Amino acid sequence: MDKKIINQVINIVGPENVLTDNEERICYSYDGTFKRGIPDIVVFPGNTQEVVSIIKLANSEKIPVFPRGAGTGLSGGSIPQANGIALVMTKMNKIKEINENDLLAVVEPGVITGHLHQEVEKLNLFYPPDPASLKTCTMGGNIAENAGGPRAFKYGVTRDYVLGLEVVTPTGKVMRTGGRTVKNVTGYDLTRLLTGSEGTLGVITEITVRLIPKPKYKKTALVIFDNLDDAAKTVTVVISEGVIPATLELMDRITIACVEKNTKLGLPLDAEAILLMEVDGSDAQTTEEINIIQNICKKNNCRRIEVASTFEEREKLWKARRAVSSAIVQLKPTKISEDATVPRSKIPEMIRRLREIATKYNLNLPVFGHAGDGNLHPNIIADKSDKEEMERVEKAVSEIFEAALELGGTLSGEHGVGIMKKPYLEWELGEVGLEYLKTIKKAVDPNNILNPGKIF
Amino acid sequence: MLEKQYREMLNKCSRCGGCQAHCPLYTETGREPYVARGKVELIENLQGGNLEWNDRLAEIFSTCLLCGSCSENCPNGVEVDKMVRAARKDLVAARGLPIIKKNVFQHLLKYNGRLKTIGKLLAFYQKSGLQKVLRGTGILKLFPMKLAEKERILPRISGKAFRDSFPAKTGLDNPKLKVAYFTGCVTNLVTPQVGASVLKVLSSNNVEVIIPVQYCCGVPALASGEMEVAKFLAAENIKYFKSLDVDYIVMDCATCFSTWLEYPELLKSEDASQLAKKVMDINIFLVEILDIKLEPRNLGIKVTYHDPCHLKRTPGGKSSPRELLKRLSPCYEYVELELADRCCGSAGSFNLTHYDLSQKVAMHKVDSIANSKAEIVASACPSCIMQLNHSLQNSGSKVEAKHVIELVAECIESDE
Ligand SMILES: Cc1cc2nc3c(=O)[nH]c(=O)nc-3n(C[C@H](O)[C@H](O)[C@H](O)COP(=O)(O)OP(=O)(O)OC[C@H]3O[C@@H](n4cnc5c(N)ncnc54)[C@H](O)[C@@H]3O)c2cc1C
Ligand code: SF4
Ligand code: SF4
Repeated sequence: MDKKIINQVINIVGPENVLTDNEERICYSYDGTFKRGIPDIVVFPGNTQEVVSIIKLANSEKIPVFPRGAGTGLSGGSIPQANGIALVMTKMNKIKEINENDLLAVVEPGVITGHLHQEVEKLNLFYPPDPASLKTCTMGGNIAENAGGPRAFKYGVTRDYVLGLEVVTPTGKVMRTGGRTVKNVTGYDLTRLLTGSEGTLGVITEITVRLIPKPKYKKTALVIFDNLDDAAKTVTVVISEGVIPATLELMDRITIACVEKNTKLGLPLDAEAILLMEVDGSDAQTTEEINIIQNICKKNNCRRIEVASTFEEREKLWKARRAVSSAIVQLKPTKISEDATVPRSKIPEMIRRLREIATKYNLNLPVFGHAGDGNLHPNIIADKSDKEEMERVEKAVSEIFEAALELGGTLSGEHGVGIMKKPYLEWELGEVGLEYLKTIKKAVDPNNILNPGKIF
Repeated sequence: MLEKQYREMLNKCSRCGGCQAHCPLYTETGREPYVARGKVELIENLQGGNLEWNDRLAEIFSTCLLCGSCSENCPNGVEVDKMVRAARKDLVAARGLPIIKKNVFQHLLKYNGRLKTIGKLLAFYQKSGLQKVLRGTGILKLFPMKLAEKERILPRISGKAFRDSFPAKTGLDNPKLKVAYFTGCVTNLVTPQVGASVLKVLSSNNVEVIIPVQYCCGVPALASGEMEVAKFLAAENIKYFKSLDVDYIVMDCATCFSTWLEYPELLKSEDASQLAKKVMDINIFLVEILDIKLEPRNLGIKVTYHDPCHLKRTPGGKSSPRELLKRLSPCYEYVELELADRCCGSAGSFNLTHYDLSQKVAMHKVDSIANSKAEIVASACPSCIMQLNHSLQNSGSKVEAKHVIELVAECIESDE
């Protein structure tokens, strides 16, 4: 990058907030995928005004800007495409307000999601979105990806909690969307447009989220099934009986085998599925609900059911689920996390198709995920240094997407399109839908400055 | 070239970023090169030939506490602390230069060019006292902090080395067990009272103690990638300990202890493997082997405990020191420390080479010590204890850091 421009950037944010050494820039070339792209310069703005100045400079010099939170994304969203500026938002990490009367919190984009959880829970409040990366990912990244999590089935995803945003537009103006009320229909719903915009329509500089009272009790059940269809039927019946578990996680046989091999928890290797269900709410409600779940499981031929209510006992039941990530990478080092999602009723069919795809391309493909909302996480476990295998992976991924769409589902439940799913976007949106997206992008970002090369 | 086991680990890192939540240096700096994930990416680039070792990389790789917090919490089992050490070794091999030019250890080696062998050097180093050597060489100028701070953080060398003040054998009539005591450099040169406490506690429990000839365990060399020096020291220690007729080899220093456990991998010798089986931390020894009983007087002083990185991952390494402290009730009333197993920031010479960053890391510790309302913070590693005392003083705290064994010794009525 031109020395003159670097100096201008330094003038805006100060020399301590700019990285230009090759060795440092390489450390901003990745996210949770295996894609790479090295930025020309890494910049840590400290406030909205600095973001405005950077974006204005980028527009006048025609330099692309790639917003970045913690870099935990699973679709390559923050990875620089054509060099440019990596705009890392982690320094703006203040929780500005937690309001117990209005039940809301106002935060800067760099706040780590788990920190917000801790702070609001101290006041007996609750911010439900809980991506598994919550100890590291940022609120800005969550908004930009519209992140979900295990609790999404009962409580919804990030989008359902965003009340308002402060955004620096792609041309460097400050805009406020939404506000501090749950109801708001003034104008287009720009808050929702920006939520899930993957850093392409604006840099989020302040976020107002809705909070709810924290549920007091939790009860957990771990249920083993000999038959996948029985497990799927259990899920359907539980829900139609009016019980909405806060967690409803499914592990398939391959996942069970990996976990057992690694942890020796005594999981049965011949079982076809394990369901982990957790209900939360008042004492009476959770007791009633867990009883209903127990009965339904038994009626649907479960092999075994364990129920726990104290923290320690519940943690024991969670152990198997928590061990999944580390267990599956013991098979092979590279994990390609997909998050194709199907309507709930199609879960058994989707799992069968995934198995066929795995056999066809001779790949390891454990399935575990959020059964409540059909957001299965098929993970292909491969070795990225094996070229031939990675070619098979690519073909399998495209068949997974095809299957999900055929069953009335979507390419991505929560990880976003980024660069990973770009080639498939038209399959889902169609030509008209894609054109609509591009028109919006062109209108607000005429110089194609913000996160170019992403989504489409 | 990185060893095979670390190359395989390189592939396992999914760049999930989970280590950001656990790396004390990421908490302070908020910068990727200083977190495990960034280091893995750099190592991969080095391996792939996209990068070559240079000053900037040397600085980045010197900025790691080797605290292992990332490894302990990595969902994919990547041991980044070990990879960083392997990379430092690679750096030394590639450039023939130490990881950081300011490394104390290297400067001592250079300064004493006329001394032929490392053994002689260490004897000189030990006899002359660290402080005198450091002042004489002008090394102090290399460190980034003010002179007063330097003077305070450098260990005050005790008048007479511990091993020169005590006989090589305690000589009991009918001992129930015999142990060899590896004192470590800090106890020997800086805090001989810790060594005296070890002897007192063991003797009063009818355990015979032998203090053989010994050298530095080698950790400063190991941590900075000076493998030849580390191997030399390890081999010397093995030589002096292998012929002893003892049941255990005990140590009060968590760092020496973990280094001894690595001797088999370092030397690939049968002797080292055999001896490593006998090695035991003093806390674990007192609880699990001796199961000592104490009858402390009632003082009711609150004490808390800081986990040294080098002890916490050993079986019994977290529980034994706490168990000992609980047995000191009512003399000492034990309270748990928030984030007790977070690194104190000492990390060998890191607290000299990266003084400000190290102090920032330590301040979290100082805060949780203050919150615990304890009057004493006990630990089981002399380097941690020095660091804790220094940063407690920096913050104007009256709390004192002591070795667990000192507190135990206080609670044993002396027969003399
Ligand atoms: C182990 C692991 C588990 C995960 N589990 C889940 C899960 O359960 N559910 C889920 O939904 N996701 C999950 N993810 C994916 C990822 O954590 C989320 O997408 C998260 O929201 C990304 O946040 P981040 O701060 O890391 O953002 P980054 O990865 O840095 O960026 C993500 C996108 O957001 C944009 N962006 C970041 N900050 C801003 C800003 N201030 N303004 C505008 N755009 C911005 C970037 O340009 C990029 O497009 C997981 C990831 C990992 C590694
Ligand atoms: S070292 Fe472990 S925790 Fe850190 S990014 Fe790699 S896999 Fe994730
Ligand atoms: S060893 Fe400690 S300081 Fe080094 S990268 Fe790991 S967590 Fe960070």
